[in-house]
Amino acid sequence: MPFNSQTLEELSLRGEPDWLLDRRRAAFAAYERLPMPSRTDEEWRRTDVTGLNPGAYATLEHANGLKQDTPDLPDGVIFEPLSVAAQRHRQLVEPYLFSTVHPDGDRFSAFHSAFFTGGNFLYVPDGVEIEQPILRQHLSHEGGTTVLPHTLIVAGRGSRFYYLDEYIGEEDEAAGYRSGSAEIFVGEGADVGYVSIQKWGRHAWHLADQRARLQKDSRLRLFNVTLGGRFSKTRVEASLVGQGASAELKGIYFASGEQFFDFHTLQDHQVGNTTSDLLFKGALQDTARTVYAGLIRIEKGAARSDAYQANRNLVLSDHAKATSIPMLEIDNNEVRCTHGATVGPVDPQSMFYLQSRGIPAATAKRMIVQGFFGEVLGRIPFEQARTLVETELEARLG
Amino acid sequence: MATVPKQIDVGSDYKEKYGFFVPEDYIFKAKRGLNPEIVKEISWMKKEPEWMLKFRLRALEIFRKKPMPTWGADLSVIDFENIFYYLKASDKQSTSWEDLPPDIKKTYDRLGVPEAERKFLAGVSAQYESEVVYHSLHEELSKKGVIFTDTDSALRDHPELFKEFFGTIIPPADNKFSALNSAVWSGGSFIYVPKGVRVDIPLQAYFRINAENMGQFERTLIICDEGSFVHYIEGCTAPIYTTDSLHSAVVEIIVKRNARCRYTTIQNWSTNVFNLVTKRALVYGDATMEWVDGNLGSQITMKYPSVYLMEPGAKGDVLSVAFAGKGQHQDAGGKMIHVAPNTTSTITSKSISKGGGRTSYRGHIKMYPGANNCKSFVKCDALLLDDESRSDTYPYNDVDAENVTLGHEATVSKVSDEQLFYLMSRGITRNEAETMIVNGFIEPFTKELPLEYAVELNRLIQLEMEGSVG
Repeated sequence: MPFNSQTLEELSLRGEPDWLLDRRRAAFAAYERLPMPSRTDEEWRRTDVTGLNPGAYATLEHANGLKQDTPDLPDGVIFEPLSVAAQRHRQLVEPYLFSTVHPDGDRFSAFHSAFFTGGNFLYVPDGVEIEQPILRQHLSHEGGTTVLPHTLIVAGRGSRFYYLDEYIGEEDEAAGYRSGSAEIFVGEGADVGYVSIQKWGRHAWHLADQRARLQKDSRLRLFNVTLGGRFSKTRVEASLVGQGASAELKGIYFASGEQFFDFHTLQDHQVGNTTSDLLFKGALQDTARTVYAGLIRIEKGAARSDAYQANRNLVLSDHAKATSIPMLEIDNNEVRCTHGATVGPVDPQSMFYLQSRGIPAATAKRMIVQGFFGEVLGRIPFEQARTLVETELEARLG
Repeated sequence: MATVPKQIDVGSDYKEKYGFFVPEDYIFKAKRGLNPEIVKEISWMKKEPEWMLKFRLRALEIFRKKPMPTWGADLSVIDFENIFYYLKASDKQSTSWEDLPPDIKKTYDRLGVPEAERKFLAGVSAQYESEVVYHSLHEELSKKGVIFTDTDSALRDHPELFKEFFGTIIPPADNKFSALNSAVWSGGSFIYVPKGVRVDIPLQAYFRINAENMGQFERTLIICDEGSFVHYIEGCTAPIYTTDSLHSAVVEIIVKRNARCRYTTIQNWSTNVFNLVTKRALVYGDATMEWVDGNLGSQITMKYPSVYLMEPGAKGDVLSVAFAGKGQHQDAGGKMIHVAPNTTSTITSKSISKGGGRTSYRGHIKMYPGANNCKSFVKCDALLLDDESRSDTYPYNDVDAENVTLGHEATVSKVSDEQLFYLMSRGITRNEAETMIVNGFIEPFTKELPLEYAVELNRLIQLEMEGSVG
């Protein structure tokens, strides 16, 4: 199935409404118009996509996400495949869908918006709290395909819940194109915990946007885990648009072999009395490479904002390379902003201390890496996700 | 108890203290604008050798071809055709203070240069517009073989040494403004410190722009031979005119093995000067380069002193302070280019914005493949004194080496209420307290300055702070 306008019509025949088809068409036009990013664009200077043709993996897989012990959802909660929800709950879906992940942002966002298949829509009405986390697995069944799930979450006023997206592929399946974008709208006073775990196969291309918009007094705890893919580029962005909003953005990554990971984060304080706290920690071994670039932006009227941003990289081999670029743009003085970035090898003193206690070098190194991640693992918003991530890391640290 | 300067209105004081200008009386003033004829005229006036004329004309070509940089500050307002590229103030260099023409003397009297000499400073080399007109060098230094002269004289008197290094560290094609400088450069300081010689007293030069729409394009070249040490200080002021001036200098420094060079700048141009400067040092084995860079004046400054760490053991250090008031944009920082393994660098940046001013830290740490076991640390602190002002931090890191340690830390904040409360509860007024906090904030910088500069800087900060905060 080639990626052309006919494919769009076919996708649409699966029961999608006309307004959605129109959006796909507009996104497709943007995809055809926009050039591939070049090395002269600041965002892509260290990120090489010359080997990627999004149209090359011509089979589209439909991943709506497998249900996994979905708890009994309270009345009024809508949890459906996105294409179904677009038909049944137009008034809830249309204003939000692709309003933060702009199809004309770049060629890959446009591709995702034009051809997304699968993904889910979750709507939690005002005041509803869900104790059990909602877990979703997105699977790729074979290599050489394209999988483009999209998650849309709308949290009503004062609602509270947890959500997990897990992206899973066979470790050694052939190269394919993967995305896994999420848009999260956190209503006034709502409290949302969102975790994504990306473990596509080791040859996959992965490009995703995770964007959240936070209203007054709301809280988001977002946790990004990146483990899979030959190439993975993720944007994590939180816009604080209501006073008293608070966003906690945490991430861990473990890159080995020839993996390349790129993270671009944005903490956008549009109004005052808002808080954001970002910490991304990564370990690299073999010849892996990672790029982190983060920006805190405090807009003019956003007084009494408090923002923190840190990126820490532990480089476990001589040939792995981590690049870290933390940036600030501050337009208000009633603020407190701090950021920090470090790139460095395992501290030889810590190694010496552990070895002097009779611990073999390999075990000592492993303990140090575990300790390094330990600080941030505790911030995973709910138990199931924490266990899942710990198990996964365990397996990879070997 | 605290000693506080008396209330002075900043703007009027600047006019009186630095904003004076004497009626123009130039022997030679090139026409406005930029073309090969002007460049040929400059070269002819200076009686330069053929190779320098060719160098200038080639640089002019490069300047024409290069696009304006689109990153950083907005430079679109610069009109290159409306600038005087060369002025010659008096027909011969004076060797003693008494010989100077009276109006030039008056200018320097107000800057306090003779006092500086009375204070037994090693050498005073003050640049009045494009030529160094007053210049004295301590005898002891000449005996040791130290050369401290203006760059034009160096081209004439030390042609071999000059040709070996000139334009090799910052070639004309490096960027648009280094090309411009290479085409129309005039004046600047030339320093050579022989092997093993330590110059214990700082060498100083004072730069001034007097004429309206005048470009200042000095060119400084410092060569520190093995095991030597020198500290060079430049200060810059300009009177206030209604139209804009351009300052575009190039500073090239070579620090050979085991040598150490410190270069201190206090930039206090009036707030309609565009200050676009390229500064770069090459540092060899176990040698140290230190840039101490203070930017208080100018409308727009774009300046990123850089250090190329060429051999193992080389060390680079940038200490940068920026103060941006109303209508000012200080885009400053530093670059550390690690070419060799086992090299270390630190950048410390302190910036203060007030009254709608904008400070940006822009830095670059690069570690080339093979430059293993390097360490670099960058720290940026910014103070925002009111809610109209802005502060940005753009640190770029490119690491292609192995086993490196790289750290970056930055904070942006306002004057903290707790600190203010503490000081005010001790009976200190709000304004005094704020001034004290700001002076404390930049203390790591002031304590690196020679005493008279530190006093001057503290005073300037106090003037800027009066009645402006809160």
